[in-house]
Order: sequence, then structure tokens, then C-alpha cells
Amino acid sequence: MSEPREPLRNIIVAGGGQLGVLTALALKRAVPMAQVTVVGTPPDPNALADRLGTALPFTNRLHDRLGVDEAVLVSEAGASHRLLMRTTGFTAGHEGFAAYGALPETKLRSRFAREWGGGSRSGSAQQTVGSLAEALVASGRFRPPGPGESTPLAEVDYALRWNVGAYRSLLIGRAQKMGVQYVEGEVASLEADADGTVSAIGLTGGQVLGAELFVDCSGTRGALVSRLPRLEWNDWSAYLPVRAVVLERPGRGVLALEDHAAMTEEGWVVGHAARDGHQRILGVRDSADPAQAADVLGGSAPVAVVPLSPGAMATPWQGNVVALGDAAARFEPLGFLNLDLAHRQLDLLLELLPGREVDARERGEFNRRAELMAEGVRDTLGLYYAALEAERVYGRLERSPALENLLDQYARRGRIPHSEEGALMNEEIVSLLAALGIEGGEIPVSRAEGAQGMHAAQGAFAAKVDAALAASPPYAEWLQSVLAPAPG
Amino acid sequence: MSDTSPRPVRVVVLGGGTAGWMTAAATAKLLPGLAEVHLVESEDIGIVGVGEATLPHIRGFVERLGIDEAAFMKATHATYKLGIDFRDFGSIGTSYIHPFGSFGEPVAGVGFHHYWLELERSGKAGPLDQYSFAVAAAKANRFAPPAMDGSLASSYGYAYQFDATLFGPFMRDFGLANGVTRTEGRVTEVERDSESGDVTALVLENGTRIEGDLFVDCSGFRALLLGDTLDEEWEDWTHWLPCDRAAAMPCAHVREEIEPYTTASAMPAGWRWRIPLQHRIGNGYVFASAFISEDEACEAIIGAAEGTQLADPRVLRFRPGRRSRSWSHNVIGVGLASGFLEPLESTSIYLAQMAITYLVELFPVGGKIDPRDRDEFNRLVDLEYDRVRDFLILHYNATTRDDSEFWDHVRTMEVPDSLAGKMELWREAGRVEKYSNGLFYDASWIAVYVGQGLLPERHDPRAAIPREDQMLAAFGKLRDTIASEVSQMPGHRDYLLRESARLADAP
Repeated sequence: MSEPREPLRNIIVAGGGQLGVLTALALKRAVPMAQVTVVGTPPDPNALADRLGTALPFTNRLHDRLGVDEAVLVSEAGASHRLLMRTTGFTAGHEGFAAYGALPETKLRSRFAREWGGGSRSGSAQQTVGSLAEALVASGRFRPPGPGESTPLAEVDYALRWNVGAYRSLLIGRAQKMGVQYVEGEVASLEADADGTVSAIGLTGGQVLGAELFVDCSGTRGALVSRLPRLEWNDWSAYLPVRAVVLERPGRGVLALEDHAAMTEEGWVVGHAARDGHQRILGVRDSADPAQAADVLGGSAPVAVVPLSPGAMATPWQGNVVALGDAAARFEPLGFLNLDLAHRQLDLLLELLPGREVDARERGEFNRRAELMAEGVRDTLGLYYAALEAERVYGRLERSPALENLLDQYARRGRIPHSEEGALMNEEIVSLLAALGIEGGEIPVSRAEGAQGMHAAQGAFAAKVDAALAASPPYAEWLQSVLAPAPG
Repeated sequence: MSDTSPRPVRVVVLGGGTAGWMTAAATAKLLPGLAEVHLVESEDIGIVGVGEATLPHIRGFVERLGIDEAAFMKATHATYKLGIDFRDFGSIGTSYIHPFGSFGEPVAGVGFHHYWLELERSGKAGPLDQYSFAVAAAKANRFAPPAMDGSLASSYGYAYQFDATLFGPFMRDFGLANGVTRTEGRVTEVERDSESGDVTALVLENGTRIEGDLFVDCSGFRALLLGDTLDEEWEDWTHWLPCDRAAAMPCAHVREEIEPYTTASAMPAGWRWRIPLQHRIGNGYVFASAFISEDEACEAIIGAAEGTQLADPRVLRFRPGRRSRSWSHNVIGVGLASGFLEPLESTSIYLAQMAITYLVELFPVGGKIDPRDRDEFNRLVDLEYDRVRDFLILHYNATTRDDSEFWDHVRTMEVPDSLAGKMELWREAGRVEKYSNGLFYDASWIAVYVGQGLLPERHDPRAAIPREDQMLAAFGKLRDTIASEVSQMPGHRDYLLRESARLADAP
């Protein structure tokens, strides 16, 4: 007879940034009778998952499940929609657009297809001839699709950007309402059993807090994990070239449906076009002087320099301590994967949530999948650095066998091999590679189909674009209508 | 553009069985202009043709080739299949259906089966398969195509049960219509390039020489190219999957209704299939020759099968395992030449289809084979075989049966590490190891674990959070909804009859 495990009674989340608060909120929802306490360790300015107010489409789904309403994020946390990343100069003279989401296929939407995998496991993805997102961005028109949306807008996936402070406050309000506790302090010690199970943490003020599960969302300092006896770290410095991220002081707020990544002689520059301020971020390589970065960013004084030693914890769940966000993995914010990875690993923790006693097998499954997720991020970043200009600026980097295989298969055959727990869908990878100017080979089947298949697809696509544009108001107009609804 | 077109690759398919004609038809249809397909078949290669039951993926194959479902079903006397009914596997007297579908829906991010396990503690949940739409429809002998709207009626899929001796010829006709050249004759010599070792031509008994750039070995267990010529190593899996023979025997229908599912009944030295087609029932005893003789097995299937016997039992011999490399030099094995896993979960045709899909994706346009594509093909094929293998072994190992030497052996044998880990995760925590590439996901593993009585020791703590009466009410409602929706579905035979006009009109 199977027994339910005794549910968690006490959970401690170290780190009160946007990741820690969302984690606490999610855990409290999962086990409502447990006491969930956030220990507000001093904010870590180097924790990119906490610092940047944006993620990828996955986060929208997670928010939905946690009752964090997108409309509220728009009205109270300054949220805006990003439909794609415009990329320039990763290949000389090339500009492209990396959009989100899958190519829609009705037959893949049934529950059966999802659960039984009758869907597109096959690796070949048609080269996108453009995307709905591209057309919408070009015309500045968009509104998020409603439930049961019947126009092609339903097929447009997007990421959100928000104001970190406002977003965090909103989450704190929710968390408090649900009974999440908050203690401010710095972790001074861990109390562990002989078998390594942590029973309590001591704060600098002398307070001692006991729990059965500890989640470290404290950022790069790893308030909890750094105190574990054995901390194995997978060093990514041979794979990823950036050693410092320079963040510009945000300028005037803008309303844009796209963000921008450009390759320059000094490194890549990412433009984050948030409603509360446009911010540029520069990825500086090993030998470069961060002070000179000011020049690259147009002479304005950079607001911060975040040092970076890229890598990830080999086993982010040790004993009864789970690391999320920058405590578990550190890498540059190219493509805004930082909070996305943190949220996907949080979701994995929710799926495999233990009881009062941690099961080694379950922990093993978490670590197996979390490592795949982290490596997926590393290899996705590797795609940017595989573009010719990036390679010229940063030099040739090491590539994992999986990345090498992907680049080779794509270059010769237009094929993206399947990867478990990958950061992007195959269609998104194709879109990104095209945006970076990395050319894909021809897929044998479409080569055989010839131009005819292409023309038919283009015709259908053009009709979709028209319908999507017709269904979309100018984005500013839409935003105004939700922020200040017309009376009546 | 057009003047840079590469010359077509001369693809020579050796073997005119199911795998051979599937390969020839698919490459000719999907790669026109890129592949020039020539199939060589000979009577002495022989056709196994017992793969009567399929998996839902076959639908994708048929669809992708642009074949009309009705025409295909008519030609192969096909019926619909919603799953497999396993009898006496976990212990004698128990049975369960492994459906092409799910059980309930996750609630608050926790899998349905955890709640079921929770209610099962007080014995109030009833069998898990009551919560599967596909199982309920199968048990009621009803069928209708699934919905596409995310509703309960979209929580399942279907496959076909067909006459495999007709499927090959159907694919042959399709292949010939799409430009496949066919030659009949026995291969007496295989010519190879003295430098590269690649196969360059097949020489037939009558002296005909068939040259090619790419050779697909579909010669079955004989593996004339991959085995005899290239001597690619065979990894034997008999120690995990001891069944190595089948005694197949068709019978007439005995019942009014046609079951929309395959039945697999455990036998003292293996198991027996029962596959209802439109015009007859396929039967067969898959057995381990180390535990029972061929004669005994034939007697056993004659004794066990219902209905008038339409032919004497035919014994087929096979070897579970796979080649270390299914693509070697310029020879690709598809079907039994590449590997074999017994038909317990109807995977044979799927495995051929999978290899064909990867062959099309990795097709050497222009004829020059890149070793990286060969490695990629072998990596993908191995992954699929290993995952299916583990799932099959589970059916034997998750048992309490000790009533025969065979069952005692499979119950106590050591299983592959990859499976042992999965089983431990299930036993300890009620969780299924997750992967998204390969066959058989959560619902399938849960169906077999639970169906064979391998219940975990612990399940998700959150399953105990909802109040029991509320859970019972929700469970009851799900059962009722399934029952009422299933009662609206037509009977399987009725549906086939109703569709018979469409089937008859099929080109």
C-alpha cells in the first residue's frame, strides 16, 4: 500500500528578491499548511535572475498557474510585451528576428498528442519564412490574445518585461496574504545532522530557524549552498566568454514590442526596452576593461558592473537544500535566459516536491533534469557565440558535443536534433539561428518538395499575417485602453 | 538553382517484407528527385508479416505519405485499436489495459495517479483504468475518433490492427505507383569497394547486377548486408527478453463484436496475442524456446485460441537484441536486420518507421555519406531501442508469478541499470522518469506499474491535502462523465460498418 509522505511543515527560502518571493509563493500554494519563511538576505546586485525584470514565455505559464495575472502585471508592475529579439551584426551586415513559440499545428494540440508524444519529435523544422511576430512588430500593432482567441494572434507567443521593484512588491503582497513569513537577516550558520541534512539556519542576529526544506534564492553568494561541505561547480568559462556584464543606468521609458541584441567590437550590447526605462547591457570579455565600456554605451556612466564566472552547480539539490537562480547557475543575460532557467527549475522542484523527508531518488531525478536544463542554457548561449562576428570578437570557444552536433546538423541539413529539457523549442532555435545569420542547410524533404511547397506555405502565411494585423490595435492604444479604461 | 541539383542517390532496398516496402515507399514518395529507389525481393528471404498490431504513430506515417486512411484500412482489413489488454502478467487472474491515452488529469500540478494512490489506501478509488477514457471505450467495445479540443474525448489516440501480410503488398503498390523499381531474384554476391569497403552492387542469381549508392538491409534476421557482408556485431538481449519464438495461427471470429484492442495473455513460457481484424482473429504464442518446445507451444496455441482454426500454427524464430550499429558504411538496417524486440507492445512496425524517419532526415543528398550523419542515426536508433527494451522488460519483471520456470526466471533476473533506476524512483516516490524523445511516456509506465501490481511505497504528499469526500466526489464525477460519453459512442463493429461506405468507396 502506498503511503503519502508526510508533507513539509517548514520551508525556508533564502533570498527576498523577485525569485525568492515567487518561489515562496509557489511553495506556499503547493503546501498551504506549511510555514514558508523568506529570509531576506541582503540583495545581491550580481544576481542577474533577480536584477533583470524579464523572462521568456514559460514564465507566463508559470505565473498563470500561480495566480499571477498578466493583466495585473501590466497594470501594476509596468509590464509590456516582447514578441521577439532583433539581432544585428552577429554576422557581418546581418539583421534578423528571433521570435518565440512553435509553428502552430492543430493536430499537435490535442491532449493525447502532448501526453503520448504523437507530435513532432522529429527534428526537422522548416526554416521560418518570417513570423507573425515580425509582422506585428514592424507595424507596432499587438494585443495579447484572449482566452479562446480565434484569430491568428492565438499563435503568437511572447515574453513579458516588468519593473522589478513593482513586480516584487506585487508578489510580496500576494505572499503575505497567503501567510508567507518574512524575516530579515543574513545567514551565519547551518546546522546539519551527521548525514548532511540541514535542520536549521542561524542568522547573524542570533535567531535560529528550523525547516525540512531549504531553498537558496540568495544569488551568487549562495547564502546556504556556499556553506554546504561539498559544492561541485561545473565551470563554463571555456564555453562562455563574458567575464563582466555592464549595466547602463536606465534611460527614458519606451514602449516597444521588441528588444535588441547587437554585436560590436567591444562585445554584445543588449537593449532592454522596458516601460520604466530603456537599459543597455554590455557583455565584456576577459581582457577588456569595464571602465571603457562607458564609451561603448555612448559615454554615459554605467550604473553597475557585474562580474561573471559562468558555470552551474553540478547537483543543485544537495541533502535538503535546493539552489535556484544565480545560486545554481551563472551566465550572461543574452536572450534573457536567467530568470527563465530559474523558473523552469522552480517548476521542476514543484513537480518533484518532497515531503518532510527527502528521497534520494527524487533528488537524483531533479538533479538529472536540472543539469540538462542548465546545459541547455549553456548550449543556447553557445549559438550566439557561434555566429561569425561573435566568434571574431570573442574568439573560438569550446563547444559541447551536443552543441557541435546541432551546429553541424543545422549547417548541413537544416536539422535541429532533439534535446531533453532544452531552453528553446526547435522552432525557436531555428528562428534564433536565422536571426544570428547562421545559415541552415536544406532539409532533404523540402528540397524534394521544391518551390511548390514553399509557395503554398507562403500563401497561407500571408493570409495569417493579414488576419493578425487586422485583429491588432496599435500597441500603445491597447495599453492605454487597459491602463485607463474608457468610462462606461 | 535547378542546375545545381545533385544527381539522384541510387537507393537499393534488399527485402520485400513490411520494412522493405515501407522504406521503399517512404523514400520514393518523400524524396522525389533525390532518391532513385530499387527494391530487390526474393522468395528465399521470406516475409515474417506478423506485426498485426500497431501504435498510434503509424497514423502519422500513413498521413505523411498522403495515403487515405479509408483506403489503407480497407486494403489491410484493419480495425481500430485503443490499447492492449494484458492478462495474468502481474499475477494470475489480474488484467489491465494499457491504453493509448491518459488517466485523469493532474490537479494543482500533481499527477492524477498520486490522488488515486491516496484514495486507494482506503480502497475507495476502484481500479485506475476506470479513469481512462480509452480504457472505458475499449472495454465497452466502442470506438469513435478522438476529439481535438482538449476535452476528455481528446485524451486518447488510436492505432490499427491489420493483416500484416496485406500491409506489405499495400505499401508495395504504393511504392510502385511512386516510382520504385522492383526486381525479383536471389542475391548471390555482394560487391564491395576494395578501398572503402562500401557495398557497390548486388549480383543476382541470373547474373543481374544492381548497383547502388546506398543500401537498405531489410532482409530480416538474415541481415544479408549488415550481418553477412559487413559483420556488424549483434547485441544479444535474450537474457532480458527470453522469448525467441512465436507460433502464429489465424482463427475465425467467434463474437458479434470486434474488440477495439489487442489482448496479450500471459502463458507458462511467454504470452499469447489475440488481434481482432475485420475478417478474422490473429493469434500467436510468443514463447521462450529455453522453457518450452515448439511442438508444445503449437499445441498450447491450438488449445487456447477461440474460434475455428483457419490454418496450422506457423513457427517464427527471432532473436531479441540489436546491432551495435544499424548504419555501417553505406548500409542501413531497417526492421529485423537492425534489431528485434518482441511484439509485446506492438513496437516492430514503429521501430521500422522510426528508422525510416531518421533515414529521410539524414538522407545523404547527392550520395556522399557524412560519417557524422551515420553516427547521429546510430545514436538515435540506439536511444529508441534501449527505451523500448526497458519498457518491455518491465512487463516481465514486475510480477509476483513463480508458477513456472519462465516466470520465475523473469521475475528474479537482473534488469538493466537504466530500468532499475526507473523502477526504484517509482517504488520510492511514485514518480516516472521523464524523457520526451522515444516511445512510452508517463501514462504508459503508470498503466503497467499499477496494472501489474507494482504499487509505490510512497506518493506525493500533496495528494493528501484535499478532503477525502471532495476527492471522492471528483473521482465519481470523472467516472460518470467517462461512462456517459462512452455510452454515446458507436460500437466498434457498427462504426466500421457505418464507415464501410467510406471504406468501400476508397480508391
